[in-house]
Amino acid sequence: MDGSTTTAPRVPTGAPPALQPGTALRRRHRFPRARWAMLAFIAPALVIYLLMVILPSLQTVQLSFTNWDGISPSYDEVGVANYTDILTSGRFWNAVKNTLILGLGSAVIVNLISLVVALMLDKLNHAMGFFRTVVYLPALVSAFIMATIWKYLLNYNFGIVNSALRHLGLPQWARDWLGDSGIVVWVLLFIICFTLGGNTTLIYLANLQSVPQELLEAARIDGAGSVKVFWNVTWPMIAGAVTVNMTLAMIAGWVLFDQVLVLTTGGPGFVSETMAFFIYKVGFGEYRAGLGSAAAVVLFLVVIVSTVASNAYMRKREIQA
Amino acid sequence: MSATATKAQVLPRSRREPRAKKKWTPGEIVVMVVLSVLVLIVASPVIYALLNSFRSYAEITVDPMGLPTSFTFDNYIALFQQTDYLQAVLNTLIITVSTVVLLVAIVPMAAYGIERIGGRTSNIIYILFIAGLMIPFQVRMIPLVKAFNQVGLYSTLTSVILVHLGGAASFGVLLYCSFLKGIPIDVEEAAHVDGAGRLRTFWAIVFPMLLPVTSAFVIIQALGLWNDFFVPLVFLDSTSAGTINVAINRMVGLLTSQWQLIYTGAILAIIPSIAIFAGFQRYFIKGMSVGAVKG
Repeated sequence: MDGSTTTAPRVPTGAPPALQPGTALRRRHRFPRARWAMLAFIAPALVIYLLMVILPSLQTVQLSFTNWDGISPSYDEVGVANYTDILTSGRFWNAVKNTLILGLGSAVIVNLISLVVALMLDKLNHAMGFFRTVVYLPALVSAFIMATIWKYLLNYNFGIVNSALRHLGLPQWARDWLGDSGIVVWVLLFIICFTLGGNTTLIYLANLQSVPQELLEAARIDGAGSVKVFWNVTWPMIAGAVTVNMTLAMIAGWVLFDQVLVLTTGGPGFVSETMAFFIYKVGFGEYRAGLGSAAAVVLFLVVIVSTVASNAYMRKREIQA
Repeated sequence: MSATATKAQVLPRSRREPRAKKKWTPGEIVVMVVLSVLVLIVASPVIYALLNSFRSYAEITVDPMGLPTSFTFDNYIALFQQTDYLQAVLNTLIITVSTVVLLVAIVPMAAYGIERIGGRTSNIIYILFIAGLMIPFQVRMIPLVKAFNQVGLYSTLTSVILVHLGGAASFGVLLYCSFLKGIPIDVEEAAHVDGAGRLRTFWAIVFPMLLPVTSAFVIIQALGLWNDFFVPLVFLDSTSAGTINVAINRMVGLLTSQWQLIYTGAILAIIPSIAIFAGFQRYFIKGMSVGAVKG
């Protein structure tokens, strides 16, 4: 017993002297073991991440140079044939156009809606928490469920939209909202933007509330109207939130899928396909996994380039402000 | 530039006077009315679906604008009796709960490892994880289906869980790493000197300090997983009952004359989201705000 109590303090007393003459020496001795321990901490997440994200992404690049159909065990290398097929296909460019309209369009519109709602919430001095919660509630309904309900609301014969129009004496306005190739993309855009923003609104609101009241008051005392105060004080102060929200909305916009599959399945014909839907349809529905992979690579490049470019642009704007 | 300088000067002072002192203004009441109307408009499709979940198919199609005549739960009972909805609910629950639990088991630890390993290794692994934020699911789905087919995991809940784990890791690492930067290393070192192993130091000392991030992370992921449609659509074929959303999507195809069941299924799918939100909304809004102001 005595032996153990005397040796126990000796370990810590043995360590401190090393601290004074050579801390680096002690660190070098302990560092490798600590690093291995930390690597072991990272390993489970890293292995899953590599297997589920990085490796399949690289395989997509490899498959994009083949004519694999998605089922058969063998396939041939076809070089860049898939890429030339895609880039010369009107169907793919139509999907790109729709992705731009729906993805970028909804990113801008939803950000505008969110900002306006956040500005309104910021005006409240009473019951703000309550209204913040209530405004958030619609965002709890998933895009899929919302789209499914809309599909029935817009049904030509029994949907409430057409039946309401007929009741209001406007039967000529009733139409096949999701089957009319002239308007279907705009109907999709409307449904995607039928929101109060949810997370986007919360982020704007948090930023608006961190704008110092003193700045706003100083501007008002100097005689600036509320519009001027917004553009010269509030807007520059929330530039960071605009960058974050626009970037998030664009990343989500590039991969719009649920609404298209539920409401139109890309139709009529291929009119309302987005890039994400094109990849899914070609890869799994039409047994052209090689072509789908090439489209996926193109999508990846578009996402990377647009995210980096828009971030660089908006960050620059932030500094100027 | 001058704006940020002023901000730094005034920040320590409290931004708003106590709420109680503020007077009600007419503008405020107008804003409240406008917000209420907006919420009603945006929620109107869901309200319509809720009302129609109490009506029969004949009632819905004969008079689309009618109101329910009686509040019976026939459709709710029929949904569970005639379709695989119960199994779909269970599947969704299994996927959501196991993915969230596994994420909380591995992601905070990984972020801690990344922050504490130091040097170039730290940066390389961090950037590797963050790159995943820009890899859409569509980019990796075709080889994943191929791989899961080869190992016999295709159309199992395991495949969906694994795909989600990989997809959520990037966001989790981003969230936890940015929070861990603010936690001093001294406390851990003290615990370490006291003889606690690294694993115990992490779970007993560091993990509790991460609670605010963990609650935000759990809620964001739980809602996202519950509401997800694309991943289970791709990885669960007809041999599985699917998740709620996949099951509803199949009903849309098969039960073309059963609108009332689809409305009912949609309403039932929303309830857990609202429950998750109601239970954790304090942490949720705080988490969103913290992340936002930093961003």
